[in-house]
Amino acid sequence: MSRDENRSISAALAAATFTLLGSAVPVPVDAQEESAWEFNTSLLYYGEGDDRVKDYSVSAIARRMFVDDRYLTLGLTVDGLTGATPSGAIRQDVPQTFTRPSGNGAYTIPAGELPLDDTFKDTRAAFTAGWQQPVGETSLINVGVSASREYDYTHLGVNAKVARDFNRRNTTLSAGIAFSMDSLDPVGGSPTPLTPMLDVGDTSNRRGDEDKDVLDVVVGITQVVSRNLVVQANYSYSNSDGYLTDPYKVLSLVDGTTGDTLPRTLTPGVEGPSHQYLFESRPDDRTKHSVYGQAKYYMNGRVLDVSYRYMSDDWEIDSHTIDLRYRVPFGAERYLEPHVRFYTQTEAEFYMLSIPDSEPLPGFASNDYRLGDFDAITLGVKYGWKTRNDNEMSLRVEGYRQTGSVPGNQIIGNQATRDNYPDLDAIIVQFGYRF
Amino acid sequence: MGSPCELVCEAPRRADALELTTLVAAEAWRIEDKLSRYLDGNIVSRVNSAAGRPIDVDEETADLLEFAVSLYEFSGHRFDITSGVLRRVWRFDGSDQVPSRQSVADILSLVGWHRVEWCRPVLRMPHGMEIDLGGIGKEYAVDRCVNLLREQGGSPCIVNFGGDLAATGPATRRRRWRVAIEGEADAPDRIIELKQGALSTSGDAQRFLSKDGVRYSHILDPTTGWPVPDAPGSVTVAADTCVQAGMMSTLAMLEGARAENFLRAQDVVFWCRR
Repeated sequence: MSRDENRSISAALAAATFTLLGSAVPVPVDAQEESAWEFNTSLLYYGEGDDRVKDYSVSAIARRMFVDDRYLTLGLTVDGLTGATPSGAIRQDVPQTFTRPSGNGAYTIPAGELPLDDTFKDTRAAFTAGWQQPVGETSLINVGVSASREYDYTHLGVNAKVARDFNRRNTTLSAGIAFSMDSLDPVGGSPTPLTPMLDVGDTSNRRGDEDKDVLDVVVGITQVVSRNLVVQANYSYSNSDGYLTDPYKVLSLVDGTTGDTLPRTLTPGVEGPSHQYLFESRPDDRTKHSVYGQAKYYMNGRVLDVSYRYMSDDWEIDSHTIDLRYRVPFGAERYLEPHVRFYTQTEAEFYMLSIPDSEPLPGFASNDYRLGDFDAITLGVKYGWKTRNDNEMSLRVEGYRQTGSVPGNQIIGNQATRDNYPDLDAIIVQFGYRF
Repeated sequence: MGSPCELVCEAPRRADALELTTLVAAEAWRIEDKLSRYLDGNIVSRVNSAAGRPIDVDEETADLLEFAVSLYEFSGHRFDITSGVLRRVWRFDGSDQVPSRQSVADILSLVGWHRVEWCRPVLRMPHGMEIDLGGIGKEYAVDRCVNLLREQGGSPCIVNFGGDLAATGPATRRRRWRVAIEGEADAPDRIIELKQGALSTSGDAQRFLSKDGVRYSHILDPTTGWPVPDAPGSVTVAADTCVQAGMMSTLAMLEGARAENFLRAQDVVFWCRR
């Protein structure tokens, strides 16, 4: 048949069908083969105030579907970190000089300022791969690996999870396990815990690299309670074993009465710390237990998502997290989702502001503010919309405020006049594109 | 209809879903009862047992016959509802029982719409000829049901009669229905995202004969009485209505080796498997 004859068949068929069916104008067909791949990408900016840490990250997750509901998921995230973070030393009314962690130089902090260590500009790449497939009619298994690398840290991990549905798929029980082996090769070598920070070039108290293993186990249950409500609860256990100390953090050695950091005698012609600082030390074991509950409630197109987590570990840190999200759709194409999160934790047993020279050295000590007693609140909103191709884009802006305090019995003498816990403000902006 | 028929709908309550299903089932059975050549007493059996006498047909049957006539004409006589009698000599059971040239030639004398006298509403065929509306009936039933559901308004549905299907509207989750076209043997299923419209698949699946290394698909050319050579294994067409999708996929199969070229020239959305 000639091209003209061919084209007229389509039109002739349409006309004949219209006559046969006698219906109103048909809706034009819209059909395409489904792409086997789904992508979820995002750009994220995290920035702390006061010249502290800034993180830029790009991430992409690709998921491919195979026959019979099997999925391969591949993920890649690249992070760039800049900025400075509290070193653990406390403020003084005089300038303080510190040796850089690498041992190759020194830096000075002006009087009255919080000592921040800015030597950890770093780029990290993290990779994950996972496989999911159904087993029988009601079960699902997931297995995966993860790996990440930055200049001083390597992580390798494996994970697996099984889930089984009951009660006509209204109940799901799941159990998962993850094991990771991490190794740390600190710049300059890992310092012997609770030994002094030494002069530039002096590496006599440095050891080699360190490692740690982490085991995580989770068991959970998800239950459909009604047409509008799904709840979930789980218990997790985590055990870290190995080198858990931060090799770059120190504590100030202070006078037992005045609370001022003890000065150090400098050798002429040699750069080194102006005062006495000791490298921190944490136990080589940490066990955490946590319980988590979540409810998602659907009301007329809006979804309220509430969750609570309680965590307790053998470092005596207890924490509570409450998280609320409320998604409000606008039409079929857009939504707004405000978010609020409250977090509170108690300090670790060995958390201390400084080490007084009037007492014997403690077994473990750290002034890492992340192990302290603090509250945090996050407030944010996420806006999502569909593109012309029916893909999803989103923009999330959140503010984070962390305020903490040092237990009264740890504050010695003149320390009471200073601001001891480094409060933190941060902003998070994330753009996401799913296609 | 010779295949499982289902309605998939997103209705707010079970009662609504049942109501829509009852509506669709009633229409499907009505059409099946009317057009099936296996049931005595319906219009098709009366026409097929008329033995040369004229038969008065009802409005709906007349509309279907007029549609079949249009198709007969613009398909170059390749689509012919009188070709059903060829099944008397061709049985596609996977064996090597290919009929003789003579038996095909003999039966061919009972095939051909040009031998039929049709002047609405009267149909008269020579004794021994039969009409078979199986090639149109299922798709027609799907479109009729979709129209009925659209009149009800509300819930988006897919009417699926054995792989001939159409959506009344977009699904509410992700706005696409996902339809799997079964792959043969080791071939994976193909997934089609249907926002709206209809899909129809023609294929040979297990219906073929194989003799002396030649595979005879079950698509018979009414003008020759023999299978169309080199027909694709399966053709899926997407169109505004199921009738259009079904007829396009059938016409494509009848083009044999030129199926893909034919569909491309029609500017039709299609997927072919050889």
